[in-house]
Amino acid sequence: MEKLTVAVIFGSRSAEHDVSIITGISIIKALDLSGKYESVPIYIDKKGRWFSANELKDIALFSSGRIEGFLNKQKPILIKVGDGLQLMKQGLKPKLLNIDVVFPATHGTHGEDGELMGLLEMANIPYVGCDVPSSAIAMDKALAKIISQSQGILTSKFVWFYADEFNNSQKQIITRLKELKYPLFVKPVHLGSSIAISRVKDESELINAIEVAAHYDNKIIVEEAVNSLIEVTVPIVGNESLQLALVEQPLTTADNFFDFDTKYIRGGGKKSNGGGKQTGAQGYSKLPADLPKELYLLAENTAKDVYKAIGCSGIARIDLLIDSKAEKVYFNEINPLPGSLYAHNWREAGKSTVNLVSELVDLAKEKHQKKQRLQTVFDTNYLKQY
Amino acid sequence: MRDILFIYSARFPVALTYMLQSTEYKAKPYLKWLWRTSNFRAVQHRRTLKRTSYARMLLLALTTGMATELLAGLVFVALGIATGHIWYWMVGIPLIIAYPIVWSHLVIVPLELGRLYIVEPRQNKQIKASAKTFAKHSAIKIAVAGSYGKTTMKEVLKTVLSEGKKVAATEANHNVAIEHAKFARKLEGNEEVLIIEYGEGAPGDVVRFTSITKPTHAVITGLAPAHLDQYKTLDAAAKDIFSLADSVSPDNVYVNADSLAAKPYIRRGNIGYSVAGAGDWKARDIKIEVNKTSFNLVNEDRSLKLTSRLLGKHQVGVLAAAALIAMQLGLSDKQIITGIANTAPFDHRMQPYKLGGAWIIDDTYNGNIDGIKAGTMLLKELKATRKIYVTPGLVDQGKENIKIHQQMGRYIAAAKPDVVILMQNSTTDSIKQGLIENDYVGELKIETDPLAFYTNLDQFAASGDLVMMQNDWPDNYA
Repeated sequence: MEKLTVAVIFGSRSAEHDVSIITGISIIKALDLSGKYESVPIYIDKKGRWFSANELKDIALFSSGRIEGFLNKQKPILIKVGDGLQLMKQGLKPKLLNIDVVFPATHGTHGEDGELMGLLEMANIPYVGCDVPSSAIAMDKALAKIISQSQGILTSKFVWFYADEFNNSQKQIITRLKELKYPLFVKPVHLGSSIAISRVKDESELINAIEVAAHYDNKIIVEEAVNSLIEVTVPIVGNESLQLALVEQPLTTADNFFDFDTKYIRGGGKKSNGGGKQTGAQGYSKLPADLPKELYLLAENTAKDVYKAIGCSGIARIDLLIDSKAEKVYFNEINPLPGSLYAHNWREAGKSTVNLVSELVDLAKEKHQKKQRLQTVFDTNYLKQY
Repeated sequence: MRDILFIYSARFPVALTYMLQSTEYKAKPYLKWLWRTSNFRAVQHRRTLKRTSYARMLLLALTTGMATELLAGLVFVALGIATGHIWYWMVGIPLIIAYPIVWSHLVIVPLELGRLYIVEPRQNKQIKASAKTFAKHSAIKIAVAGSYGKTTMKEVLKTVLSEGKKVAATEANHNVAIEHAKFARKLEGNEEVLIIEYGEGAPGDVVRFTSITKPTHAVITGLAPAHLDQYKTLDAAAKDIFSLADSVSPDNVYVNADSLAAKPYIRRGNIGYSVAGAGDWKARDIKIEVNKTSFNLVNEDRSLKLTSRLLGKHQVGVLAAAALIAMQLGLSDKQIITGIANTAPFDHRMQPYKLGGAWIIDDTYNGNIDGIKAGTMLLKELKATRKIYVTPGLVDQGKENIKIHQQMGRYIAAAKPDVVILMQNSTTDSIKQGLIENDYVGELKIETDPLAFYTNLDQFAASGDLVMMQNDWPDNYA
């Protein structure tokens, strides 16, 4: 059987560039191990140049810092978009490589936010994960909450504004924020991986936190904290029919929230509750979450409702906030590309990483085939009048 | 082209030295490997050369030899250019082209001479001395022989008998005459039990081991096609193994009656052991779990509740035999129960471990069809969300190779795993045929890079999975 060529795109001009490298290379490894696919790494560097070479499959190239020297010797690739996507390697004899499926592994801006998906839609090629609108909505924390609220899903009280508004009329914004009860969370609307998120206890901390967030994003959300909090996250896979992994409970730091360092740096080597040695975010997790049965089910159902409300496909992870006393589940954020696919959770739920990536590729093909049945062009007499 | 040119590179002598080291510097397996290898760049796939002083010396000799021949060739070519005489060319060019081939063969000459005139005479002297040590030693001497399961039986006996006796046993799978001699040199003289493993490899081996070690007791662990490249037939192997029973009192001979091939050779008065028990003792209420095996060993008036961390029904007979020998040597019930409880799997032999939420049973040192049968039966018996069976097949199966691998396929199919992963090699088609014959309906995957698979097992397994890995091929068989 001929192998499908799957291009894995990672890196990009994003604050989550380095996290994306880990995700991308873990996907490539699983695709290669499956024996079903020919994986092609496509790395977008911080300057936005696209590269493809087999050496980019090796994490050591990045972790050792040799990547800069390596890229200096490489020519960036060109992408040919038509009915499909081809990768063109520059040189004396330019080589064209047909791509069958794209597996986006870019976190944050210029990738996970729908921009990359737009290119792939134009190319009319199957790709893994959420489409343009759902990616764009998911990456806008305020918009995702507004849409979820419209579908009857609970969220904590929040206010959003543009950074320019804050810079130009700080007093007005502060007045609007007075309707919220402290402690508050200040977040850049479009960033993931807990970058530039602050928890503030009073107004003096609030202004500084907004300034930090405004440094990373032009849109900021400030939201109330949930009392008697249990924070959980639910990875989901599927198009119409959904599969849920385990409801996972990240264990918070002394500062009582899960920042970038906790997720990706300090987590290394910690033992999870299950006893397995894990790295990254999962190192601080309880798997499955320690919740009463009813609350566990409510969390699962809320996650499914959010996934559908936002219009996700392929894969996503829904972060929820639970008020354990009031037994209420609030939607917090949605992540259309969970770091390293949250493979540790899927493995614990009984799905191996190799099977996970294979299923995601199948879902991408299924979604694409379904879309091909839709009529997108038709003949008109419109031009004849000119 | 790069693969062909590799033999002219400086890394070729390293590859050759690695091949010699991997085949324990033995000419026959080295030459077999050499002659069937087309890509020498890939021989150091799983491991690389360990630069021991011996290996370094050999590498230096090889490199010097090759460089000398190359230089001589170049001198002849230079003379050819200088004089215009064709004969210099005719000598020089073949010397240059042929040096890798010549030296890859020449290297075994000093090795063989050294073995013949230095190593073997020295070893023979040590073996003779050990025969005197064994003859003088007053301990009970238990010889363990058979086509498979010897090391397990030896270790079980050692663990159980150590509860009440001072026991010494040959190390790991050090089971040939020179290793018996080294074992004899380490004895203190006050041991009460000696356990000696016999590693037969060619006709006459067991007769020789018996005459040197003079056993008082014998355990024959089973009979299966192994080393048939030397024995040619299973009957020849059986006769050699069962020659052990000639020098021991019949009621001190324990034979694995679960081994169908061994049954015809059991003699009157020998004690059989099997999943049903040992001698007059019956095994009852056998319970197999992923990390332990438990059963009651009962006779008319006594009962012992035994639990071991060894896995599988096939271990019941081994444990029962050890318990019976322990009784014969005067150990108490309490000592036997504790001894059996202390028995545990050895590295890579039905060794369970957890990988994330999955259970892996590492049986990668298993190299015979009876072991495969035991492993597949265990897989069938245990409960799991998804069962995965992994093997590259067996090596050294002689003329029966195809039949044995077809049988292996049938055993695997009978265990009904959800996924079967075969490492691509010469045995794959025969195993597949056996799977088809027994109507295997699960997923079949052929893996072309075993090393990538084994090192990334965590990517293939998930919580609730049970992965049985049987046998593994080193580079010289891959």
